[in-house]
Amino acid sequence: MQGQGTFFDGRTAGRHQVQVGLSPDRQALVIAGDSLDAPLRWPLADLRALSDHGGEKDLVLTRHMDTDDESPRDPARLVLRDPALIDWILRTRPSLHKSDLRAGAKRRILRNAALALGALALMLLVILPGLADIMARVIPRDTEERFGRAVTAQMERFLGADERGALVCDHAQGRAALDKMVARLTDGRDLGYDLRVQVFDHPMLNAFAAPGGYVVLVRGLIDKAQGPDAVAAVLAHEIAHVVNRDATRNALRAAGSAGILSLILGDVAGGAVLVAVADQVLNSAYSRKAERTADAYALTMLNDAGISSAGFGAFFDTLAEQEAGLSLPEYLSTHPITAERAQAARDNAAAQGATTPVLTDAEWQALRRICG
Amino acid sequence: MSDLRRADARYDGQSGPIFGLALRVAFLTLITLGIYRFWGKTRIRRYVWSSAELDGDRFEYTGTGLEKFLGFLLAVVFLAIYLGLVQIVLTFLGLGLLTEPETEAQMVAQALAFNLTFLSVVPFILFAIYRARRYKLARTRWRGIRFGMEKGAWGYVWRAIGHYALTILTLGVLLPRQSFKLEEYMTNRMWFGDTRFVQGGKWTALYGAMTHLFVGLGLMILAGAAGVALQSEVLGAALGGLGYIWFLYGFLHYRVQSFAYLTSHKRLGDEIAMDARPQTGTILLTYIVGGIVIGVAGAIFAGLLVRVGAMGMGGAMNGAPDASTYAAIALVAIGYVALILGVGAAATALITQPVIAHYVNTFSVLNVDAVQAIHQRAADSGADAEGFADALDIGGAI
Repeated sequence: MQGQGTFFDGRTAGRHQVQVGLSPDRQALVIAGDSLDAPLRWPLADLRALSDHGGEKDLVLTRHMDTDDESPRDPARLVLRDPALIDWILRTRPSLHKSDLRAGAKRRILRNAALALGALALMLLVILPGLADIMARVIPRDTEERFGRAVTAQMERFLGADERGALVCDHAQGRAALDKMVARLTDGRDLGYDLRVQVFDHPMLNAFAAPGGYVVLVRGLIDKAQGPDAVAAVLAHEIAHVVNRDATRNALRAAGSAGILSLILGDVAGGAVLVAVADQVLNSAYSRKAERTADAYALTMLNDAGISSAGFGAFFDTLAEQEAGLSLPEYLSTHPITAERAQAARDNAAAQGATTPVLTDAEWQALRRICG
Repeated sequence: MSDLRRADARYDGQSGPIFGLALRVAFLTLITLGIYRFWGKTRIRRYVWSSAELDGDRFEYTGTGLEKFLGFLLAVVFLAIYLGLVQIVLTFLGLGLLTEPETEAQMVAQALAFNLTFLSVVPFILFAIYRARRYKLARTRWRGIRFGMEKGAWGYVWRAIGHYALTILTLGVLLPRQSFKLEEYMTNRMWFGDTRFVQGGKWTALYGAMTHLFVGLGLMILAGAAGVALQSEVLGAALGGLGYIWFLYGFLHYRVQSFAYLTSHKRLGDEIAMDARPQTGTILLTYIVGGIVIGVAGAIFAGLLVRVGAMGMGGAMNGAPDASTYAAIALVAIGYVALILGVGAAATALITQPVIAHYVNTFSVLNVDAVQAIHQRAADSGADAEGFADALDIGGAI
């Protein structure tokens, strides 16, 4: 087999016109030319071709060799344009497109992957939660209250309010009943915050605690609750979040992890969705713990105030019914399995001493009409 | 001087092969949750580089997917720690400003607090820009000789921040100075083999490339003046719209022509000069035609999908969903994914590649025979191999 080729020696930018042929022992390509000092011998087994090559009519060869290059390749290149020669090489050399990894490549992949995963885990699971915890403790009270006001306003807008305060329910008798409930729950307790409990006029079954002592009950929750004790229990639970500064801590932690998550997942198709899901998973890992702590605190509050926690259990059953249709796996939902929480509330109720309803019937009816 | 040989560059990559390659790469990237992108980018670059030739010899891209992946992992280690800490600290400090903005000043302060997070990555974006060019050059060869770039990313970062600040403070008047000085900083650190590139020319010459920006701006000012003086909103809006479109064209023109000027005033060593004459109109036309073709083809394909979907839904309406309904739904889902991947690959084939082809085809080297004296340079480890650029999502299609 014989043919013409262009050779670049990898040392200068000069071009060498060369003759390419098979060595007598048929084990190597011999590259010879007037401008080369001596003919070169490239063993056939070491030949490699450049892949994804744009020039359809040529074949560019190099050879497998341990060099300083990014791949273990000879910096020299042999460009063939002779169709017969190219055809012969392609037919007889199946290892032309073999990619040769340097020794230790696997170790480097494992090392870098471990470093990256380790750094991510350390940040997301240890450093950011720890920092958020410290920051939630040292954040100035009035800053936290302003933050809470902004979050509450944001929530109100999200629920459809055109302007601030549009959804706030403030029917006088209902308000009085609510205040009485709050007073009974928090009597003699130093919460560290001035509580601001509001009711929003929206059918959603929900309640939330914002930073700085803001607690919001959504009307749907009062509508669906079987009695005042259930509402009091939910309120106690949200107050527990306030005392534990869960909302502030969560917001800080999420701010730190959001950038990291979009850094890793942002490039993939549908990255935004992945980021949201990953954030939710991370978030729920913390909030599950926070929810259990808040439940325990709420039960203590109910016991101290002499309010039955049976209503709390019943409320969880209502929630469970609501979720039965479209249930998220536990780790994805921000609340732990409600049946388990209901059982804890019922167990507590069984062990409770004498209790009195938190509101009279008249007051309870007033609270149910707080939104008019 | 007249007997010095001039070599024209030529690009001969075709739409078919690169579309196929881009489609395969996009599919593999999807099913590997993004990890294949490092190898995919490498393959597309190999095709593009080797489709360009100068004086009859093709360029070569020698980067590897593995080094990009490794670089990305290291960049993640660094950026995860940095971004996480910066964001949580900024949020903590920013909470003091986070209120219902009641005054203008509060609103500005709040906007600034949120943008600080972005500003905190600006140095790394600039760092990544320099590193990405260094990596690309270190992995580019012609006639077996490596291109290369000296270390100097941090020097670039500080200069770029300074120039950006000046450009913003002067409302864009010093944009040519920024473009020139930053390109000069990079060019003077670029090498082919053992020979250094040198940026010539002067920054004030780039004002010529800004012509259309000024025309657009002038039209918009005129529109405002005319609208007020003649009490004619129609005239004002029409002139303003024209001015705005002209202004956008001016941006493209500036990008293309500043590139042409800066490239034409680069030298390699003392003897080799370059010439670049890209046409703004050709590039604009490539975008428009490519955009229309992709848009129409995509719409036809989407229309077919909707019909298949409607047939599937029709089956479901008329009683219990059967196998054909599920088949239709599956077909629509697959078609939807194929559409997204196809549009991306078509953009590479019909927009990105033709634009590159135009830049290559309008490029020449003067006194090309002098390159024969150029010797090889040592291999560059490639540092982070664009890991930062990838993590920060900069660098465009290729």
